[in-house]
Amino acid sequence: MKGHKRDIVSTGKAPLKSPVAVSVGLHLLVFGIALAGWSWNTPPEPEPKSISARLISPEPRPTPVVEERDQADKEQERKQAQAREREEAERQRQAEEKARQEAERKAQEEARKREEERRRQEAQARELAEKQAREREAARQKAEAEAKERERQKAEEERKRQEEAKRRAEEEKHRQEEQRKKEEAERQRREEEARKEAERKRLEAERRLREQQLEALADQARQEREAEARRQQEAAAARAREAQMLSESEKYQALIRERLSQAWYPPSSATENMTARLQITLLPTGELASVKLVSSSGNTAFDNSALSAVRSLNRYPIPDNRDTFERYFRQFTIEFNPQRLR
Amino acid sequence: MFMKSRSRCSGSFLKTPVIACLVLFLTASLGARAELLIRITEGAGSAIPIAVVPFAESGSMPAGDKVGSIVQADLTMSGEFRPLEPSKMLSLPSERSEVYFRDWRMLGQRYVLVGQLTRNGDRIQARYELFDVNQEKRILGETAAVPASNLRSLGHHISDRVYEAITGAPGVFSTKLAYITVSGEGEQTRYRLQVSDVDGKRSKVRLESREPILSPAWSPDGKKLAYVSFETGKPVIFVHELATGERQKVADFPGLNSAPAWSADGRSLLMTLSRDGNAEIYRMDLASRNLTRLTDHWAIDTEAAWDHADRGIYFTSDRSGGPQIYHMERPGAEPRRITFGSRYNARPRPSPTGDYVYYVHQRDSTFHIARTNLETGEETVITRTGSDESPSVAPNGRLLIYATRQNGEGVLTVVSADGGAAYSLPASEGEVREPAWGPVTR
Repeated sequence: MKGHKRDIVSTGKAPLKSPVAVSVGLHLLVFGIALAGWSWNTPPEPEPKSISARLISPEPRPTPVVEERDQADKEQERKQAQAREREEAERQRQAEEKARQEAERKAQEEARKREEERRRQEAQARELAEKQAREREAARQKAEAEAKERERQKAEEERKRQEEAKRRAEEEKHRQEEQRKKEEAERQRREEEARKEAERKRLEAERRLREQQLEALADQARQEREAEARRQQEAAAARAREAQMLSESEKYQALIRERLSQAWYPPSSATENMTARLQITLLPTGELASVKLVSSSGNTAFDNSALSAVRSLNRYPIPDNRDTFERYFRQFTIEFNPQRLR
Repeated sequence: MFMKSRSRCSGSFLKTPVIACLVLFLTASLGARAELLIRITEGAGSAIPIAVVPFAESGSMPAGDKVGSIVQADLTMSGEFRPLEPSKMLSLPSERSEVYFRDWRMLGQRYVLVGQLTRNGDRIQARYELFDVNQEKRILGETAAVPASNLRSLGHHISDRVYEAITGAPGVFSTKLAYITVSGEGEQTRYRLQVSDVDGKRSKVRLESREPILSPAWSPDGKKLAYVSFETGKPVIFVHELATGERQKVADFPGLNSAPAWSADGRSLLMTLSRDGNAEIYRMDLASRNLTRLTDHWAIDTEAAWDHADRGIYFTSDRSGGPQIYHMERPGAEPRRITFGSRYNARPRPSPTGDYVYYVHQRDSTFHIARTNLETGEETVITRTGSDESPSVAPNGRLLIYATRQNGEGVLTVVSADGGAAYSLPASEGEVREPAWGPVTR
């Protein structure tokens, strides 16, 4: 009831979001009016019902509609009441006739007023409906707009989503690319590192090898130095012996040369390009053991002069040192080759 | 030596003689390389000691020099030998079985010549052997026979054989000399063309003249002499057949006819003629007497001699101002001057081997004989005497004879071609000049 009342009094300001409630309220109102007209035993006219409802409505009594919970009791009561009421009504009917006429007039007035009201209300309702329709339309349009907006938003969202997806894909791709690059870089870095490592290891190995070699060389050099030192010492000693032998040898070579030069009579047919080589073997006493013509000058007289010279010495001057003798004078070669002919 | 060792090897290693020999040979040569080597580049520079043992004789021998003495003298003259005096000999072997090498060694002898002569009718036969004392080896063993009157020839022959056996060069002891002697004074002056052995012995006068005789020249066969004689009052060139004494006047042109020199084939003479006004050198073909002029110069060109190849000539020319030696490589070629050492170089005589040219060379206001090495251009004075002239080279090129003055007299001296040893020929009567060494004839 409160809702209803409130609905009625609430004029142009119907709640935007409860068109159903308005509709319900209106129906209740119509039903209430019809009910009041019926109970008055008057031909129900559509319009008085609403008037009677109007009359009743100031009564603070609760409406039977609301109290028809106990249908049977209510029927009984209603029949008794009706009897009384018919008596009452007869009695009253004159009064009322008058009153009714009055009321009629009033009612007409009322109806006219109500008509006006109704019209006004209808206008209002129409207006309201229109307004509502407008509102609905607006709402629809709004909804549509909203839908469109939503659609747009949705499309936008979709676009955005797609863009996002694309972006994401791009990003993903980029990321993957980055990742790939990164991996590649990483791979390269690893490879580089591996290479560097290998290089380092190689260098290290080389270095070690070199060091080993150097060590070996150093070792070898040291050994060689030592050996060389030993050798040099030995060589020095040998050289000293050698030098002595050589100087001794040279001395005796010179002596032999001198003796042979004195003993050699190059024949007059000799020329400066004649050379005879004789191999001499001596006894340790300095005596000639044997002589061999190992290379002839091609001139018999020349060869003979050389052979004769070599054999003319009774004893060859030789060193006392037996080693020197064995080394140089046991066997040697004499070459006869005139450089200065008379 | 290699052959010897191979045959020795073949005996011991029959299966692999070649390899064994190779190994031995290689070893020997390798060993030899490492061996001490002593080089002898100079000889004693003195004459070779040789013992010429007086030859044993069987049968009567002609009087005069013994063969051994002749050989000794020859070898001594060569300058290359130093024969041992027979008085110093410990023994006088005449054949191998009697030769004790140790004795000869002890005496310092290199060679020993032993021999024996046997009278065989009017001929004398010689058997001789030459030994190398140090090698105890016979290097010569021969026989030779000559008429008893010709013993000197036998001696010279043996000298030649010994000389060749030892030196390797042919001896020149059997060759002849030609020279001019001058004797007497004024109206008594006599010029004689003489021919002798190389030792000056057995000289024979081939021509005697009151007028000068100059420039004797031997024909290559040793049978003729060409010379210049003034017997007609002017210089004329004659060719003189020695065997017959026949003489031919080959060049009697107006003016000078001088300096004859034989070609190697004996068919032509080089000579200096002034028939065309100036002294020039001509070649005369002896058969036809045709002349070919070889020089053409306003200066004097003379004293020509064929070079050893008989292709070009050496001659004296004063075209440079004083006399100098020139060589014309072939007839018609531009002469090339050879001597530069002094202002006077004349009378060129090339050596038979073509390596030297000998000539008269003025130095320190006297005259010497010098030689120039044709390869190096080096000039050497080879005589120690002064006023030396007329060099003539022995056919073996080892010796040179020239005229010089000794005690105011002209004498002949034989000198080693290198100037090492000199041997003066025994003086004959008077002055000797213009020697010419004859060819080797066999």
